[in-house]
Amino acid sequence: MKKNGVKMIKINSKNVDVFYGKKQALFNINLDIEENQVTALIGPSGCGKSTFLRCLNRMNDVIDICRVKGQIIINDFDINDKSCDVVRLREKIGMVFQKPNPFPKTIYENISYGPTIHGMAQSKNEMDEIVETSLKKAALWEEVKDRLHEPGTGLSGGQQQRLCIARAISVKPEVILMDEPCSALDPIATAQIEELIDELKKDHTIIIVTHSMAQAARVSQNTGFFHLGELIEHGSTDKIFKNPENKKTQDYITGRFG
Amino acid sequence: MNLILFTFIVLLGFTSYYFGRRKAYTIQSTNKRLTALPQFYGYYLAIWCAIPAFIIFSLWAIFEPTIVKLLILSDYSNQGYLDDELNLIYEKTKALSRGQFTGEITPFIEASAEKYLSLRSIAQSSKVVIVLSIIIASVAYAYKKISSNSRTREPVEKFLKVVLFTASLAAILTTVGIVFSLIFQTIDFFKVIPLFDFVFGTHWYPAKAFVRDSSEALDPTMYSDTFGAVPIFAGTFFIAFIAMCVAIPIGLMSGIYLAEYASVKVRQYAKPLIEILAGIPTVVYGFFAALTVGPFLKEIGNSMGLDVSAESALAAGGVMGIMIIPFISSLSDDVITSVPQSLRDGSYAMGATKSETIKKVIFPAALPGIVGSILLGVSRAIGETMIVVMASGLAANLTLNPLESTSTITAQIVVILIGDQAFGDPKTQAAFALGMSLFLVTLCLNIVALRVVKKYREKYE
Repeated sequence: MKKNGVKMIKINSKNVDVFYGKKQALFNINLDIEENQVTALIGPSGCGKSTFLRCLNRMNDVIDICRVKGQIIINDFDINDKSCDVVRLREKIGMVFQKPNPFPKTIYENISYGPTIHGMAQSKNEMDEIVETSLKKAALWEEVKDRLHEPGTGLSGGQQQRLCIARAISVKPEVILMDEPCSALDPIATAQIEELIDELKKDHTIIIVTHSMAQAARVSQNTGFFHLGELIEHGSTDKIFKNPENKKTQDYITGRFG
Repeated sequence: MNLILFTFIVLLGFTSYYFGRRKAYTIQSTNKRLTALPQFYGYYLAIWCAIPAFIIFSLWAIFEPTIVKLLILSDYSNQGYLDDELNLIYEKTKALSRGQFTGEITPFIEASAEKYLSLRSIAQSSKVVIVLSIIIASVAYAYKKISSNSRTREPVEKFLKVVLFTASLAAILTTVGIVFSLIFQTIDFFKVIPLFDFVFGTHWYPAKAFVRDSSEALDPTMYSDTFGAVPIFAGTFFIAFIAMCVAIPIGLMSGIYLAEYASVKVRQYAKPLIEILAGIPTVVYGFFAALTVGPFLKEIGNSMGLDVSAESALAAGGVMGIMIIPFISSLSDDVITSVPQSLRDGSYAMGATKSETIKKVIFPAALPGIVGSILLGVSRAIGETMIVVMASGLAANLTLNPLESTSTITAQIVVILIGDQAFGDPKTQAAFALGMSLFLVTLCLNIVALRVVKKYREKYE
């Protein structure tokens, strides 16, 4: 989205290095993410795209041996700074994982989990409303409205993933990170999620890691290509797919390696 | 002799394995495809060696003594002996043949003993001959039979299945046997003591039953007010309750710490250290409770002006709780660790803190396993014997004061069965009745646990 012809940058990463123990996984990543756009991160397995994604909501903190260097600036604030409150950060930046991971609770409780933690609803009615809007936004409401109090784990794979998306948007995040959200799903469920992503970008900035080139081309406006821990090339999806500057990018996109 | 024969048969088994495999290799070298790997041919022959040997040994063990006895006692038939007397004669004969008979030796018995020895040696040598010849015949038959397309894999697999089945059957049958022995003695007990008196009586004083002279006729009325089990049931549950009050919080919290907070290094050392607690023999806990904790509590209590018995329920229950900590902590640690990382990630990504994640996601997901570990702890507490015998006293007081001494089902069984016992005496049978009730209690606990776990299971995946 452009305002006065200037691209609005939501996330600005500067010189990001990531280490797992002694092994360096990411080298000097400089990548800007545009607001209210879908940015796809592509690259062969083990290239560091998921690691980069997990830097953006500090999920790498969970891994003991992982260290992150460099600056990641979101809303003029460096999230790697000591003063950053991870709880607030993750409220602003939601995440959807590769395998659907609904909590072993009811559908309702899955959605109300985040709002409860962050104290977003004052009454039962407010919570009901949050649950309903989130499920509607995730295009799941019609399918589950009659069984909100049944376990979320009883849904089909595609429904579970949409439940996870609904869970992520329940706290109204500014950014949603998606780590290969369709890799465990069939083509029909994938198409539903892709449609949903397109819908969600009105209100959220979306970053999606994907192995499917076709998916990146379908859903994203910007694309970054990672290889061996380095960001080889990034730019508009059109340009990356039709007219890449780097030979490696071209080789990967045309399926010559990876 | 039997040992040598057995060793020889085992060697024969190995040899037939070797021959079977060699024959398979020979077949293979003629470029014929085998239906199974060569070792299956070997196992096949070994089975043909083992099964006949096993059958003959079992038949021999069953029938040899009976036949020998019949032959010996045939000399005494038509002499008007009673069955009991014949048995006595046979036992005397056997003892004499072993050189262990100390009584008066009559010529009759001496002759029988000699006959017995000769019969035994005939039996022994014929056993060797029969076993070896049958084994060799069966192995030879099987050896001739195997060819490139004979089915050796299926019989071997079937044999393994039967062996494994027998093993599990042995365990199950033993359990059933134990339960039946409990049932019959318990029924006998309740023929003398009314069930009502046992279940609702509040006075347990089995020492009263010592007084009876076994030659006197059994008079049920003298046992009224002797076998009222309420005090010891109450004591059992009371001490178990104290133990669980110690074990559940400490065990659970240390389990959660180990699984969620401890670094890999701390966990590596802390977990085995906690599990050492589980390796301490309960008798050591027992004298720790009786000689260290009990007097210590008494001293503290006295200094505060409380009347504390040196053998208090608190000391026994507390130490028992410490004993149960490792069960709960180790099991709940395993259960919590096995909750998939993806659930933690999902919760953290929502902005939940560690303690919120544990409380709201991990704990509910792990709950069935945790309940299981707690119930395991409870049944340990109810079944624990040594600590209560040593630390909590043997007098069955009906009290809910943790500073007084009480007694438990297990401790009373020990009291009853220590020293001389007469079978068929209500005092001895009382132990079986107690054992049976203990068994029923644990059974109910397990059933309830299973139901609870099934109902509240939050399935992940």
